[in-house]
Amino acid sequence: MAVTNQALSGGYQLLNYRIDRQISRGGFSIVYRAFDETGAPVAIKEYLPSSLVLRTEGDIVRASSAENLTSFRYGMKCFFEEGRALAKINHPNVVRVLNFFRANETVYMVMRYERGRTLQQQIQMRQDQMSERLVRHVFMHLLNGLREVHTHKLLHLDIKPANIYLRTDGSPVLLDFGAARQTLTTSRPKLAPMYTPGFAAPEQYREPDRLGPWTDVYGVGASMFACLAAFAPQAADARLQEDHLVSAKKIWSGQYSDNVLEVIDWCLRLDPLERPQSIFALQKAIREIPPKKRKLTFFGNLKRKLFTEIGA
Amino acid sequence: MRFTIFQESRKGSRKVNQDRIAYTFGRDTLLLVVCDGMGGHAGGEIAAQITVRLFIERFQQEAKPILKNPLKFLQDSMLRAHAALGSYANQFSMLETPRTTCVACVVQASHAYWAHVGDSRLYLYRQGGLIGQTKDHSKVQYLVDQGIIGADDVAEHPDRNKIFSCLGGLVDPVIDLGKRTLLREGDILMLCTDGLWSVLKKEEIATWLTSTPILKSAPQMVREAEQRGGDEGDNVSTIVVRWGPESLSDLPSTTITETMGLGEFQTQIDRTLTLTDRKGAQRDLSDDEIERAIAEIQATIQRYRK
Repeated sequence: MAVTNQALSGGYQLLNYRIDRQISRGGFSIVYRAFDETGAPVAIKEYLPSSLVLRTEGDIVRASSAENLTSFRYGMKCFFEEGRALAKINHPNVVRVLNFFRANETVYMVMRYERGRTLQQQIQMRQDQMSERLVRHVFMHLLNGLREVHTHKLLHLDIKPANIYLRTDGSPVLLDFGAARQTLTTSRPKLAPMYTPGFAAPEQYREPDRLGPWTDVYGVGASMFACLAAFAPQAADARLQEDHLVSAKKIWSGQYSDNVLEVIDWCLRLDPLERPQSIFALQKAIREIPPKKRKLTFFGNLKRKLFTEIGA
Repeated sequence: MRFTIFQESRKGSRKVNQDRIAYTFGRDTLLLVVCDGMGGHAGGEIAAQITVRLFIERFQQEAKPILKNPLKFLQDSMLRAHAALGSYANQFSMLETPRTTCVACVVQASHAYWAHVGDSRLYLYRQGGLIGQTKDHSKVQYLVDQGIIGADDVAEHPDRNKIFSCLGGLVDPVIDLGKRTLLREGDILMLCTDGLWSVLKKEEIATWLTSTPILKSAPQMVREAEQRGGDEGDNVSTIVVRWGPESLSDLPSTTITETMGLGEFQTQIDRTLTLTDRKGAQRDLSDDEIERAIAEIQATIQRYRK
């Protein structure tokens, strides 16, 4: 039987936070829901790589060997990168870091707790296709957040539906900056890059020197594609060998506006230079899509006006 | 001025790229700089970076709108860079001064002026033939001059990396100034580091650059040089300028400076960078570093809290 790291148990007091339950477990961390001293919920991410079994009981993380300790500490850098990246950004569509501390011989990142579900869950739950209105709503807001990220000279590098959280009010939050990299600094990415097949751009596999805003643009295009298809597009490394990806425009012509489909295809170009070169360029392209012209009755028109005004 | 320009710096098989290259131009004058840093740790990169920046900054201060005396500018800049490297080492109590080679070229009023220190080179081709070049400040070049070895033996010679003049060295640099040369349309100026000239013969370079548009052939040439370098390959860097309007290609590739405003400059600094060494990246964090990282993140959270 595989031995796994033991999560902190419900009720555990971690500094001034009380652990409620585990929310998710990833390759490098466990995320918990917890309550702060005022009783407000927070999400706490505990650095604990699953490849190293370091805690089979209790709370203290113990390296079983010097070698283990080295790998553990080395991976911690990645966790710091994420903390550094997020600490600078205060934007409604980007997950907010509230605190960062060391305890139990590992490190913790406290984030604002959001209610809702990931776009991935949303895609999997839905029986019917996602409406153009919802897709546009989610991505227009998401791109605002991503633009803020890029303004801070950071790339997310792991944009995918599982990292896009939809609040109960429908607004998106960009999560998981574990792959985020500081760009335009003098140092290259220091850690082995991670990629998610289907959502990672071709340059992430082969040419780390060519990463840029357009790399996240590919992830955005792939995520939009997944919203329509309910599956990820063909992985970019496979596409470089033999491109089987059928254009969005071909598949969904007539079901979605041409422009949304054209934007998806544009984002998914293999050549980084052929994609929108900035989030701004992408937003501009999406904005330019004329709304579907429908003949509206007097009441329909009124309803629409009301909806726009209340921001629904 | 009308010209086509290309520059690229590649790491080769080395862990870091210690080469730095840059060009900058205003309406009536153009500067090209290529440096190959030397020395352990980050020293080489720092030296090359400081030198390139110093050249660019001085050029933009003094070229108003053209340099009064290009050769003097080149010589002064070299000496200032040499002094700057010394004081940098002093300031950070470095055991070894960061050192670099340097070859720089100014083109104004259709004349080229160049200067160099060390073994980074300039070649000037006209109609496929070499009509100007720098002479390395190296031990092997001395051997060639004395007739002890042939010019073709240089690239393979075990001492080919030993140079007796550089910026940042213990002794003042020997600076060679090239004589003022009138350029004709179609002339090709090529500046490069030893990573390129040690694997490509002058004649080969001429073939690459004189028959096809340089924006097409120069990138291929650099890649070829990197490949030939193999597993031991050095950093490969070059700046190539084809003087006059491009006649070999239909594509709009010529830079035309007449439309630029006075006092306006366009600059391109290239580095395939890394000031981190790989070994350092593999090293794990100390307790101290963890504490510092956390403190830094905490401070950032506070600062950006609205």
